[in-house]
Amino acid sequence: MKKLAFTFLFISTFAANSNELVDQNCNSENLATACIPKLSTGFNFLKSYKVDGATKDKVEYSYVFTKGTQYMINLCSNGTASDGVTVSLFDKERNKVATSKINGQLVSAIAYPCNATGIYYIQYTFDEPSSHCAGSALGFKR
Amino acid sequence: MKSSVNSAFLLRNSRLQSLGYEGIILIFVVNQKRSMRLILIGVVAVLFYSCTPDKKPDDQAFLESLDSTKTAGPGVDEEVINSILNQIPSPIEISMLLKESGSKYNVSLLNPSDNLPKYNSNYKKALNLGIYGTDLGYTNIFGNNQDGIKYISSIKSLADELNIGQFFDIKTIGRLATNSKNLDSLLLITTMNFNQINHYLQSQSRDNLSVLLLTGGWLEAMQITCQTAAKNPQNKELKETIGEQKIVLEQIMLLFSFYTADENMASLMEDLNQLKVAYDKITINYTYKESTMEIVDGVAVIKDNSTTTIDITEENIDEIKSITNSIRTKIIS
Repeated sequence: MKKLAFTFLFISTFAANSNELVDQNCNSENLATACIPKLSTGFNFLKSYKVDGATKDKVEYSYVFTKGTQYMINLCSNGTASDGVTVSLFDKERNKVATSKINGQLVSAIAYPCNATGIYYIQYTFDEPSSHCAGSALGFKR
Repeated sequence: MKSSVNSAFLLRNSRLQSLGYEGIILIFVVNQKRSMRLILIGVVAVLFYSCTPDKKPDDQAFLESLDSTKTAGPGVDEEVINSILNQIPSPIEISMLLKESGSKYNVSLLNPSDNLPKYNSNYKKALNLGIYGTDLGYTNIFGNNQDGIKYISSIKSLADELNIGQFFDIKTIGRLATNSKNLDSLLLITTMNFNQINHYLQSQSRDNLSVLLLTGGWLEAMQITCQTAAKNPQNKELKETIGEQKIVLEQIMLLFSFYTADENMASLMEDLNQLKVAYDKITINYTYKESTMEIVDGVAVIKDNSTTTIDITEENIDEIKSITNSIRTKIIS
């Protein structure tokens, strides 16, 4: 009787909290929001991106960048500065045109003065150890 | 201890439904002590509670308020649609370019805020919500607060009618709009609010409205740019900006191709196709060259060595201006 009651109570507690547990695994939405005020002075906010790589080895978004505009993409994560997360930019032909990993050093932002209008792919990858969880914001200035 | 399920009652709880929770309470009547019965009922109720979608009352009202605008056809991956939708640049970039080009603020270029009562279908409301969003950005960037406040009011009305008004922080926006020193914050809040709306529409599988909202915003930016370029014929950058929109239009046409079952969207797609035909005469040449990078103050600063050149004539611009104006006039009327 006690065993049965305990089992049911355990199941109900787990079920009731299951959604919250999944959300807490990666708070990428909060991290993305936290990145917005961290865009450098003069950059106007455009978009924020959730970087949740729990089940994938890369996360990718795309945006049309315009010639003559400077863009900034930053990264925010729990714990260490970049938490092993690299953000890279690829042009429409998938040439890598920018990355936050230079000579093995990871930084937390890319400043990209665009000279060629087109669709660009913003890709986030993870170097272990990494929680595979981050947020990012895109801003622009002329 | 022996127990047996004597009977099971399937009860649809109308009170739960009124709160937005779909679900049922399965009550097992067991031949048990009362305390055990209560535990079983509680567990089953919790299981259903935790598994039901977190549907807010506004979501249901929103879905019911929609008219015949259809979602994408079968077999269309929503993730694909959303990724294309999120590529569309914000009209605020063009407004900033217009300001920095030296052009003067011109309210006659905008869709008058008192056209609002004309928009009585969700199709027109979504399109003009996007249009007014661009107009608001334009008034903000040029520091015209009085006009901005009118657009804030129209935007709030349209958003409320589409049941997405909760995403507009109207008090904060109104307060910020009264002082031109608050431009950065104002742009930030309005951009965030529009992003939240688009994200919400996409998450609710109402991406068709997101397409209309973004298209309206883009068309208005095109309209303002074309009309401004006409008044500033020496400005090469404005002409190039018009030419570059070929890339955005291609993505918009791709989006519309997913909604051909919807009469209104199919009709707009036909109009946009005329614009595409005009843009087919324009060439954008892209030359890739490896970029160089260095770290400055903890930021990777890139030197982009790639280039684009745009082959566009005055005749091309006139044609694009004329078609854009025609499409936009149809939408705002």
